[in-house]
Amino acid sequence: MPRQLISLTINGREREVAVEPHWTLLETVREALDLTGSKEGCGTGDCGACTMSVDGRIVTSCLMLAPQVNGRQVTTIEGLQSNGSLDPVQQAFIDTGGLQCGYCIPGMIVAARNLIDDNPSPTLDQIREGLAGNLCRCTGYTKIYEAVELAAERIRGGA
Amino acid sequence: MAQETKVRESTGTDANGHTAVGQRVTRLDGAAKVTGKTVYADDMKMPGMLHTSVLYAPHAHARIKSLDTAKARAVPGVHAVITAADLPDYNRKDSNRTGLIFPDKEVLFFGQPVAAVLSEDPHVAAEAVELIEAEFEPLPAVLDAVAAMEKDSPLVRDPLHDVDRSEERGHVSVETKETEQEGEPSNIASSAPFERGDVAAGFAEADIVIERTWRSAMVHQSYIEPHATIADYDISGELSVWTSTQAPFYIRDELAQAFGIPENRIRITATEVGGGFGGKIYLTELMVAALAIAVKRPVKYIMSRKDDMLAATPAPFAHIELKTGMKRDGTLTALQARLIYDSGAFPGAPMLPGCMLIGGYYRCDNIDIKGYEVLTNKVSVGALRAPGAHNATFAIESHMDIMAKELGLDPLEMRLKNAVAEGDLMPNGQTYPAIGLRECLEAIADSDVWRRRREVEATPNRGIGLAVGGWLGGLQPASAIVCLNPDGTLNVTVGSADITGTNTSFQQITAEVLNVPLDMVNVETGDTKTAPYAGMSAGSKTVYTVGRAVKAAAEDLKQQMFELAMKRLEVEPEDMEVANCQVQVKGAPDRAMTFKRFGKLSTNFGAPFPVIVGRGSIAARKTAPGFTAQAADVEVDPDTGDVTLHGYAIAQDAGFAINPLSVEGQMQGGASQGIGIALWEEMRYDEDGRLLNPNLLDYRLPTSRDLPPIETIIVEVPSEEGPFGARIVGEPSIVAGPAAIGNAIDSAVGARQHEVPITPERLLRSMGKL
Repeated sequence: MPRQLISLTINGREREVAVEPHWTLLETVREALDLTGSKEGCGTGDCGACTMSVDGRIVTSCLMLAPQVNGRQVTTIEGLQSNGSLDPVQQAFIDTGGLQCGYCIPGMIVAARNLIDDNPSPTLDQIREGLAGNLCRCTGYTKIYEAVELAAERIRGGA
Repeated sequence: MAQETKVRESTGTDANGHTAVGQRVTRLDGAAKVTGKTVYADDMKMPGMLHTSVLYAPHAHARIKSLDTAKARAVPGVHAVITAADLPDYNRKDSNRTGLIFPDKEVLFFGQPVAAVLSEDPHVAAEAVELIEAEFEPLPAVLDAVAAMEKDSPLVRDPLHDVDRSEERGHVSVETKETEQEGEPSNIASSAPFERGDVAAGFAEADIVIERTWRSAMVHQSYIEPHATIADYDISGELSVWTSTQAPFYIRDELAQAFGIPENRIRITATEVGGGFGGKIYLTELMVAALAIAVKRPVKYIMSRKDDMLAATPAPFAHIELKTGMKRDGTLTALQARLIYDSGAFPGAPMLPGCMLIGGYYRCDNIDIKGYEVLTNKVSVGALRAPGAHNATFAIESHMDIMAKELGLDPLEMRLKNAVAEGDLMPNGQTYPAIGLRECLEAIADSDVWRRRREVEATPNRGIGLAVGGWLGGLQPASAIVCLNPDGTLNVTVGSADITGTNTSFQQITAEVLNVPLDMVNVETGDTKTAPYAGMSAGSKTVYTVGRAVKAAAEDLKQQMFELAMKRLEVEPEDMEVANCQVQVKGAPDRAMTFKRFGKLSTNFGAPFPVIVGRGSIAARKTAPGFTAQAADVEVDPDTGDVTLHGYAIAQDAGFAINPLSVEGQMQGGASQGIGIALWEEMRYDEDGRLLNPNLLDYRLPTSRDLPPIETIIVEVPSEEGPFGARIVGEPSIVAGPAAIGNAIDSAVGARQHEVPITPERLLRSMGKL
């Protein structure tokens, strides 16, 4: 199948990629850009393991086709660290024990960071609503709620 | 959020003088996981690797008339199409799901793998598999496990022979007289009786007798990472497999038998497991290895979510008939049960643990329990966290509530009166070691959820329910190695897959024994060629058994250092101790040799000491059953049948929580799965045995919107053999949910739930509204 050239900004870097038009964003990022942090858990947009941010809004990248992100800004889990240090959300997940097998965690953290960016002081109910598109089978979510609250608090404090 | 967890503070030493174990320690692999650096099997690529797409049987039971692969083979980019006829020789075992790669005559369940297409491009493989022309002649499909037991039922399959039950034994150790299928051909794969006393006499002395039937749906483990395996077979005859598994050594042994390859020429690497819950023991590895042997190239097989729901090994439907008798004072006088577990098309249903638990929570002089493992033309089942336990517990714990209500007894006090303790009998006649069931009930009585009971129950359509749960645990020998490095740091190597944070617990155990800071110790899971043997990470036994081996290895290393230090320190080992990263003379810490000095003296050119390697190797003979008590606070919408969970509390006996942070995580995670089984999860089949909901939209998992923070209370009744008194932790938490929620709903709206999941439809029906 003929490939088509798209350009996107991935984690702050401009890239051109030759894609087949049926490739999903997830597939493109994992296979063509070699960023394997984002995971496929269902391929149907139900689990959220593939969550990325496109122009500041979270998407399930398994449902988005690569040509749809032409000219847009994409952030994956690999884009959250800055200057070699963890994002406060990443650190909070470690500190509260908000991760076990880890498979949902890249998508969960991208969603959580987006939630805090939109609402720096989320209530418990807002956290529960905001993460409802990201399934975690290991934790029962309790420590994930604690992680998001801790991260929001640290970010508000200038961490 | 208020800190819900009631455990000791994590700074400094605890009451027993521990400095490393018992502390809340963050995971060794935390940074890799939050940055997306952790490598799972699907993230790996091998040179020349082929992708696999599998043809799944479109019928629940059918004869294979023909398989024409010509059109699929002709697709550009297809490397090979493999059917049963094209497989390399292997020791086929038709009676076991994992012993049969592709059938050649008959398919036994909807979704059974029939053939595979290999291509460098996964899209090409997926397109070509649709072009395989398969003709089937449908046969009668047996789908109802209860009806399948009737003498005149059609047979699911030809009679079984030589069933291999080694995988089931990895999850739980039950000594009993199980009978395999014998005599007239039937669909009953096995059965087992558990009897004590005289149930007729027991019912005669009861003031009330309750008899009900309980049903629990087939559910899926629903790990977020579907099954994923890569295999490679090189020209020298070495087989390498990278796979998302809880059981690398078990797979090695099975593949060695299947292909006749010596165990020392097979390398199984357990890649990071993206959730297993008992479902990732051994499933796809034989097929992928056979494909790699057939084509002599690396082969990768990643199940899609649909593949996984069709063709992995979910947890069984169970039909349980239970009759119990009780005196007015709350004494349980008789318990009679018939438990039927739907095994699907191959044996493997966890009927034995169900029998052990239904009669295992409460003292009762008269029991008569019969378990049946019944075959049907559905996907064969496997383990899900405390396999078989929630089904049986839903029955007995609902009964206890019914009896308490009828007799006007407090449900918690009545349970405490009957709860088993050390020395009491299990259904198979063995006696319990030290256990913490009563302590869990006492702890849940003190939970916020239970204490607000009166107030909540005064609110219309709100109710609080209670249930206990438990798991007996598995046993398997284990080993570990601790090496001293030249700089005085330590490397621990184990063979157990780390899913729940067990390697972090091993770090703590080693640091405790050697009295060093945690960062002096690193822990690695090796593959089956490099690691010392460990059993499967299943049966909640990893910290309980491998943790003991790690402790023994650290103690061995310490003893070696003491003996090597005798000449230089001029005292006997019993007068030495470890502190501050050195071996020192008791009472004279300035007479010491640092770990670093031992490291140099045992590794440098011309060094006088041998390399210092601690070895730990243990046999595990005593189980350390784990119990839990849980309370649910629910609200029922009487118009829609929707259930809202306002609160949930879990108390569980961990023996000794080596890492309270990960113990809490196990408790909360298991509790959430129990809640999912109670309210939403169900694999639904149509009348032809086709799965109707093979996706995560229609198979509904608990979301953050559903689950409030879980109140978590660790109870500690030390085990006899476990490291520092630790006992099994991973599994008990899932067990009580269905009964706790069912009891809460009855308390809320006075409608008893006899079937899980408690869907709005079932709930409204029970309220007479449908």
